[in-house]
Amino acid sequence: MSYFDWIVLIISLLGIILYGIYKSRSSRNLEGYFLSDREMPWWLILLSIMGTQASAITFLSAPGQAYTDGMRFVQYYFGLPLAMVVLCITFVPLFHRLRLYTAYEYLEKRFDVKTRTFTAFLFLLQRGVSTGISVYAPSIILSSLLGWNIYITNVLMGGLLIIYTVSGGAKAVAYTQQLQLIIIFVSMFIAAYMVVSLLPEGVGFFDALQVGGKMGKLNVITTGMKPNGGFDWSDQYNLLSGLIGGFFLALSYFGTDQSQVGRYLTAKSLRESRVGLLMNGLVKVPMQFLILLIGVLIFSFYQFHKAPLFFNNTLIEKVANSAYADSLKNIQSEYDRFNDQKLALMEKFPRVEAGMDFSPVFQEELKKVNRQGDSLRKSFKQMIGKSGVGGDSNDTNYIFLRFVIDFLPKGLVGLLIAVIFLASWGSIAAALNSLASASVVDFHKKFVNPSMTESQDYRIAKIYTLLWGIFCIVVAMFAYNIGNSLIEAVNKLGSLFYGVILGVFLVAFFFKKIRGSAVFWSAILGELGVITLFVLNEKKIIGLGFLWLNFIGAAAVIAIAWLMQILISKNGNSSTYIHDTTRIPQK
Amino acid sequence: MYEEKERPPIFKKWSGWYALVIGFLVALIIFFVYFTKYFA
Repeated sequence: MSYFDWIVLIISLLGIILYGIYKSRSSRNLEGYFLSDREMPWWLILLSIMGTQASAITFLSAPGQAYTDGMRFVQYYFGLPLAMVVLCITFVPLFHRLRLYTAYEYLEKRFDVKTRTFTAFLFLLQRGVSTGISVYAPSIILSSLLGWNIYITNVLMGGLLIIYTVSGGAKAVAYTQQLQLIIIFVSMFIAAYMVVSLLPEGVGFFDALQVGGKMGKLNVITTGMKPNGGFDWSDQYNLLSGLIGGFFLALSYFGTDQSQVGRYLTAKSLRESRVGLLMNGLVKVPMQFLILLIGVLIFSFYQFHKAPLFFNNTLIEKVANSAYADSLKNIQSEYDRFNDQKLALMEKFPRVEAGMDFSPVFQEELKKVNRQGDSLRKSFKQMIGKSGVGGDSNDTNYIFLRFVIDFLPKGLVGLLIAVIFLASWGSIAAALNSLASASVVDFHKKFVNPSMTESQDYRIAKIYTLLWGIFCIVVAMFAYNIGNSLIEAVNKLGSLFYGVILGVFLVAFFFKKIRGSAVFWSAILGELGVITLFVLNEKKIIGLGFLWLNFIGAAAVIAIAWLMQILISKNGNSSTYIHDTTRIPQK
Repeated sequence: MYEEKERPPIFKKWSGWYALVIGFLVALIIFFVYFTKYFA
């Protein structure tokens, strides 16, 4: 990186930290620290929800995923808009009316302490580990591409934000997320513009889309049907899995994950929370579509330019220094020939803007050349595995930043690296705030010291925020070789727990006769079932896309709890009284 | 199930939001299908 890039990067990061500290003023109690005194407007709720969900992984992996697999990943978000409406009708008014700090408090009111504690524990486990991955994911990419020390990068990625998150709590998180998102969106727009402007003379935006489309990268809608008929349950992203699995995932993530619940509970009224969530439902799919489109544009860009054999240079160097150095040379020279063939072919590229058609012959030739390139990349990835140099043989997450570093002008490189930090900070800060709130409210004040004063509450909240920050950095230090796309790793981890947690909440809302013991044991059995299915799928014994785990987990909890409640009632262990605190009189 | 009496934002009933969101999603899917086919 040039000095100018460093200046841009440092100014951006320092600016956010100072802004976060400046906006830190809130009441010195738990309501001020965790819920911003419940005074946030809807637009800040919207930006905070978006900033919490969109981590650095979103901006690194999504363009890379579009480059390699096309745009079908956008279907993952199709269930989200409808989930927002359901949440606004069911979960949100109840949480507001009860004036909760965490979603899990409600479970004690509705069931019992053990159900609340178990669910809060599942949240802490899942969110703690996935936040660690959220620190590690961008750090490993930056350290590989820029030669930075991974440990120092982890500390910068997960550590600097602790300054304003600890001092300012939820208020600092929300205001910095607002500024972060503005910088991120402007920078991503500039990056997209730059990709198109770097295309050869006479090749425009629609030409780039045509190249992507003809090469199968604009596959936004896929049905998941096998060529010989029948639905492919192992297919990760298709219309059905996106609508059904995505709906349950969004319902669980926004309704029961404290990192999101904690954002909209900061709203000054129920209406402000609802508008923030509903607007999120309307903007999320188009936003994700545009981020993925950048990946397609980069794919098209590399049709006119030499593409690297592998986007993570560090691994290439490691293989070059291994026993496979000669094999690498052979593959590299073949890949160079592929690049030459491709560039020669693209000389004849029919420009849309000049009114020329993309003939079937040209399309077939380009596909043939690209298949050759894909085959060589695949061979190299296999070589990485055989060489034993370690590291992730999937370079999906490196594609966008490799392009940025190699082709964007000075200053913009620093700005886009700042984007990675800021996106990361936005989601990690919200996660730390929510981890601390669940730790303090659902555990510390419940089991350790229930009678703390306001100032003790405030101090302990800060200590937990700091401790979770350190925990996440430690997880990041040990995270290695997660494999495949990092965005998938985080989503898979979420899907292991979200379905079960959602099932518990759905029972609480819709099955009045089911009581604490039944739902508690059904949650444990349901979690074991989901983990079993996940392991069977990983071992290729069954084929099941991970999004289905959300639906299966929720359905399993409801079905098992219902059966257990019947058995308990028949054995006469249950009174007919249902402790229903959800029917709270209107004020 | 707890029933909230407050009106939803913009519309008089939540069915308005359901209709808007489903309509929006259908319109997006149609656009995406057209987009995929047009450039393929």
